[in-house]
Amino acid sequence: MSEKGGKGFSASAAKPPKAPSFPPSASSSGLEDGSVKSKKRGRKPKKTPEVQAVRSDAEAVPSPQFGGKGDNLFSKGMLGKGVMGEKTASAPKAPSPKEPIPLVLNVESELPNNTKCLMDSEAAQILEVIQEQMVALSEDPAIKIPVSFDRGLQYSKTNNNYSDPSAVRSVIETLAAHGVSEGEMCVIANVCPETTDEVFALVPSLKGKKIALTKPLNQVLSEVAKLRNTV
Amino acid sequence: MFFHIVLERNMQLHPRYFGRNLRDHLVTKLMKDVEGTCSGRHGFVVAITGIESVGKGLIRDGTGFVTFPVKYQCIVFRPFKGEILEAVVTMVNKMGFFAEAGPVQMFVSNHLIPDDMEFQSGDVPNYTTSDGSVKIQKDSEVRLKIIGTRVDATEIFCIGTIKDDFLGVINDPATI
Repeated sequence: MSEKGGKGFSASAAKPPKAPSFPPSASSSGLEDGSVKSKKRGRKPKKTPEVQAVRSDAEAVPSPQFGGKGDNLFSKGMLGKGVMGEKTASAPKAPSPKEPIPLVLNVESELPNNTKCLMDSEAAQILEVIQEQMVALSEDPAIKIPVSFDRGLQYSKTNNNYSDPSAVRSVIETLAAHGVSEGEMCVIANVCPETTDEVFALVPSLKGKKIALTKPLNQVLSEVAKLRNTV
Repeated sequence: MFFHIVLERNMQLHPRYFGRNLRDHLVTKLMKDVEGTCSGRHGFVVAITGIESVGKGLIRDGTGFVTFPVKYQCIVFRPFKGEILEAVVTMVNKMGFFAEAGPVQMFVSNHLIPDDMEFQSGDVPNYTTSDGSVKIQKDSEVRLKIIGTRVDATEIFCIGTIKDDFLGVINDPATI
């Protein structure tokens, strides 16, 4: 495959019209796979050197002719670059059909098991306690309060919708029985949606359970709305 | 979203800190080393909330430094694809706008801003609907959905959208 692509590539230097027909295959097999997703399939490590070898071939082949026709080589070089450019341009297109972009919140699978999602209000509560300790520690010049702490604290404070996070948590955790994941529950709590439609629009992963979930979700939302701070 | 998570780190301590306050020194060093860092897997380490355990130290050959495996609990902030966040707009230009949610920076391209919102240049560049009822400018609060993330050594950058139901401006500084 890549050898063919490679030959096509060197051939393309000789025959311009053929050039566009080969690059896509070359790009999908050699260039992109080799450089971007290096270690997923076993075949790749072989391919990159081949492609490189072919490339150096392609450069090497014209060089004997170079002495006579400088112009020609230059145009070939340009052509080669053009083909390369095309390859890189076509590269991003290749993976897109594979990924249908399911924008589903996938919190649990991406983090280790010993993780607990926190609602913003819970985080605010914890961070405020830490901030008080930090004030005492800040006299020690060795300890600097990092920027991300301040930003995180500020963010959690501005999104602190509930004065009693533990009550909200106990209400919203009833959704766990209906197959709502921890991450989804926290998003719901953070966003404070007013209607179930809003929930399903914002957390599309719940759409599949829409019928079973509407009733308990309505209850939870009305409970949560009562606990919400009125600012 | 914020998470409470248990992480582990091997801490190297110089022999001069050995003594009664060894543990304090370890914790101080841990805080200095870890807080404010950022990784693709865990996000920003906002604060350490507690130490779970400090393992047995191991003397490193040739140096005298001792390595302690420390397990600690911390609060991390990590954005996820598909997550809904409320962010504060920091800059508006014709390409879109930048916003900030906690330590995370985001960009919303003008392709991901509803079509009825037009860019208005001027002293305060903004995106405004044709009837002028909705305006996005610096310091506006917007609710957006994250559609992509890029992780650097020191920061996480997100691409967001407000071109969807129930997304958009939630708080306009001009109206307050």
